[in-house]
Amino acid sequence: MFEHTENINNEEYIPETYIPTAVSHGTKELWQVFWILLGITVVDFIIYFAMGASMTRNIIFILMGLVKAFFIVGTFMHLKFERQFMILMIVLPALAFIGMLVFGLLHEGNALSIDY
Amino acid sequence: MSTHTTVTNTTPTWAGGRSPFNVSYGKLMMWIFLLSDAFTFSSLLVGYGAIRFSYSGHPVTPWPDPALVFNHFPGFHGVHLPLLFVSLMTLILIISSVTMVLAVEAGHRKDNKSVLKYMLITIIFGSMFLGCQAWEWSQFIGEGARLNENLFGFTTEAAAKAGNLKLFDHVHWDMAADRTPGPVPFASLFFIVTGFHGFHVFSGIVILVVVYINALFGTYERRGHYEMIEKVGLYWHFVDLVWVFVFTFYYLI
Repeated sequence: MFEHTENINNEEYIPETYIPTAVSHGTKELWQVFWILLGITVVDFIIYFAMGASMTRNIIFILMGLVKAFFIVGTFMHLKFERQFMILMIVLPALAFIGMLVFGLLHEGNALSIDY
Repeated sequence: MSTHTTVTNTTPTWAGGRSPFNVSYGKLMMWIFLLSDAFTFSSLLVGYGAIRFSYSGHPVTPWPDPALVFNHFPGFHGVHLPLLFVSLMTLILIISSVTMVLAVEAGHRKDNKSVLKYMLITIIFGSMFLGCQAWEWSQFIGEGARLNENLFGFTTEAAAKAGNLKLFDHVHWDMAADRTPGPVPFASLFFIVTGFHGFHVFSGIVILVVVYINALFGTYERRGHYEMIEKVGLYWHFVDLVWVFVFTFYYLI
């Protein structure tokens, strides 16, 4: 992980203009992800009409949203093919700060309730 | 493959002289911008959640049921069709997302013709999404929602009528007898969050058109790489990602 195995004769490294050589992974996986996203949306749609509004249903919807986010960020935004450091640099701050906001909402949200 | 011999370089990743993330400067900055944008949108959605939660169980102005507000479909006036139109919008955005990633893939193969084809489809579907959003906004405004006003509170009789609504039922609200002022943040947050997302879609389309024109004139062919398509692609997929959560929190829950 800390060492590189690459051809050092390839090119000189200039930070401002360095462009890594792009590699195509083919279109098969992209279409797969498209059908997964479509499928999850259809399941969302069915659950919406099949189940009455409840906290369980809300949690199912949020989890399905996170699954969709995983596929969009991983495959469409190409993140899962990047270096491990790159993945951590994007995912960890996002999890930390958004997690902090969500925790604050769940933990302190009661304080916002209007008293009747 | 090339005839160069592969040499193992044992210089540590962070000792300088190489790109530790193995991405270009521009792409890294796009990622950092998107990260900050993700914080903005998550703050908006968490704020929405907090305000909505603060109205739960409110005796005078309870939070309106999204199913009773966003239940229109073009061509089916007065028919109770919740979620259908936004699902169509989601489908449109997912299609535009897959054509965008196909354009990126064509760029990796340096296939200018395919890049142009897929980018054009992306622009068309993105514009369709914006059109759908404009239609939905005009419905919402037409029923009395403003940034500082919301007429989606229901009188007791209207709430009883709404409780019995089934899919495909015909529904007609009498603005005078059925409607009372509802919670104002319901309308303002809808306009702010979907408006902010719609503005992202709009600027995405503008950037896509600029890059499309560049590709049309062979700029990236001359440059030798299609990195710009990847950067626009990142932005466009982020817009799709945000819509997943707007869809979840505004329409499903």
